[in-house]
Amino acid sequence: MFSQLKSRFGSGLAVGIIGMIAIWLIGMVILPQLLMVDYSFRPNLLPADIGGPKDTYSLVNYETLFSNKIHLAIFFKTIWSSVLVTGLTLVVSYPIAFYLAKVATPQKAALCLLLLIIPFWINEILRTFSWYIILAYKGPLNALLLGLGLIDRPIRFLSGDGGVLIGMVYAYILFMIFPIYNAIESLDTNQIKAARNLGAGWIRTHWRVVIPHAKPGIATGCIMTFMLAAGSYAVPALLGSPGSRWFTQIIYNWFFEGGDWNQGAAYAFLLLVICIGFIALVMRVFKVGLGDIAK
Amino acid sequence: MDSSVHLDNTVMQFGDFTAIQKTDLTIQSGEFFSFLGPSGCGKTTILNMISGFIDPTQGDIKIGGKSMRGVPANKRPTSMIFQNLALFPLMTVAENIEFGLEVRGVSKSERKKASDRLLELVALEGSGTKKVSELSGGQRQRIAIARALAVEPQVLLLDEPLSALDLKLRQHMRTELKAIQRKTGITFIYITHDQGEALTMSDRVAVMSAGRIQQVADPITLYKDPHTAFVASFVGENNGVSGKVVAANSDLVVLDCGPLGKLSGRSHGNVAVGADATLFIRPEHFRLQAEDGMHTLGATIDEVNFEGAYLTLNAKTPADQALSIQLGTHQFSESLKKGAPVSLSYNEQDAIVIAGEGHV
Ligand SMILES: Nc1ncnc2c1ncn2[C@@H]1O[C@H](COP(=O)(O)OP(=O)(O)O)[C@@H](O)[C@H]1O
Ligand SMILES: [Mg+2]
Repeated sequence: MFSQLKSRFGSGLAVGIIGMIAIWLIGMVILPQLLMVDYSFRPNLLPADIGGPKDTYSLVNYETLFSNKIHLAIFFKTIWSSVLVTGLTLVVSYPIAFYLAKVATPQKAALCLLLLIIPFWINEILRTFSWYIILAYKGPLNALLLGLGLIDRPIRFLSGDGGVLIGMVYAYILFMIFPIYNAIESLDTNQIKAARNLGAGWIRTHWRVVIPHAKPGIATGCIMTFMLAAGSYAVPALLGSPGSRWFTQIIYNWFFEGGDWNQGAAYAFLLLVICIGFIALVMRVFKVGLGDIAK
Repeated sequence: MDSSVHLDNTVMQFGDFTAIQKTDLTIQSGEFFSFLGPSGCGKTTILNMISGFIDPTQGDIKIGGKSMRGVPANKRPTSMIFQNLALFPLMTVAENIEFGLEVRGVSKSERKKASDRLLELVALEGSGTKKVSELSGGQRQRIAIARALAVEPQVLLLDEPLSALDLKLRQHMRTELKAIQRKTGITFIYITHDQGEALTMSDRVAVMSAGRIQQVADPITLYKDPHTAFVASFVGENNGVSGKVVAANSDLVVLDCGPLGKLSGRSHGNVAVGADATLFIRPEHFRLQAEDGMHTLGATIDEVNFEGAYLTLNAKTPADQALSIQLGTHQFSESLKKGAPVSLSYNEQDAIVIAGEGHV
């Protein structure tokens, strides 16, 4: 990289550019993370005691999670719900991505993409809050369903995990659609025609030809959606009920209400480890490498 | 089994654009039939209609006498070889060939037998476990043929399948395709913009231009008896000399070609006295010595090219019209050189008069 930059900008500028990247990576990304990891292994002490005899490394902060049944349950529920959100988003996004990439005319596809993107110009909190309004007990969705006679009593969408799931699928759908769309777009349309021509129905055409080709895009979309869902704060905070707390809310509480940064850091670090484990698992399942995903 | 294909008054429109003008054409069962025409004239569109990827705007497609309206692409008795082959790159060679059988629920052992037999047919025994990317262009071509034949189609559709190959391989594959067609007895519908391919392989050829079929005939008739100016100049090389019809009796027509004098040739009886018409003479029909009953026109040589077995001359008439002449090499003499005058004779039975200006 250095020689490339050097040949293009000269050695002075090349050193400058690489130096800045290094400062950014080390100062803004790596050091703060390391600091958090360091925090997570130390007890929460009064300022006077920091550096004193009580300030020793231990796994106590990590053990807290496993001894606190409620926190542990929320932790697993967060992981499981994120998997569910990822799956739901995939199910919703794949047909849309296929339609945009292979069925719609270019004009229609452009219009649909625009319509999909416009809502995302609005702040996430506002967008999520609009779902709060739509899904409310006396909100328009219930009114519509009542009016159509499909239900005879309003549904409490927001009391369980339902609201959170809907909100998250909506919030992260673009992160799923775009990678899949890109992958399907690059598939030669004649491949689909060839499969049809050889007698394959639509399901088999997708299963044997389109999905194998789109696998890296599907994996990328799943990874991004899962990470965003597991790390989401706004959606569960707004659309969740007290019974459907997200693990990020617990981390938040440790930091800003409990004032125990060390405990919060340990929780956050555990979440990160699980997420990385999930990525590795997805890549295994889809048999894709890092190189495929970066494409 | 009847595997004829009937384009029954078929029209195909995309929005306001008519890609295929009203066409009524029957391709016989077991025939090697070609559509020949320049790029963009609607050849692929015809194959797409036959294979069911698009539905004709008007009219119908009938295969073996049965209407294909409403029959989806995956239920038609056709098989297509795509212009870019469209082999499945994530499957092995055998999986590619067996795909159509897998779809039909054929057992694994039966599939294996079929793919082995087809690999033998296309002379690629033992390549079943290879990846598609490990094969050469010619080998991929054969796999595409094997894959299309695996489903035992009644009609095989070939969309310029040889265009990606180099000349030698292309010529070799022509013979091979023809042999496969004879062996299997399947109706072949072949699409190409290369007249050499169409003329060497086909039983009959349909020449197309801008969505319209100009003429359907066997290759020799097409070459000897073109019905339209487009066919005359698209199939083989031709020299068109335009003039006005001064006499037309039964099948012989005389044209007044201005400074070239009066020239005559055969016609199909559809030119009227006084109308514009074009006389077409093929390069190989010119002679340097006039014999009895021949017509002669004078020209000046522009260029002499030695091509081995024959010579080609480029010449200009006094009316500044370019002519191309082909002579046997034995006719070469020192007098054939740039700037020299030359008198060119032809037999009126070898020339064709077609109504119109001759510009296509
Ligand atoms: N799906 C389509 N929509 C609009 N125009 C099309 C479509 N398919 C083909 N055409 C047009 O129809 C004409 C014939 O195309 P095609 O059949 O592919 O020609 P060829 O195979 O002879 O080169 C072209 O002008 C092409 O642009
Ligand atoms: Mg084409």
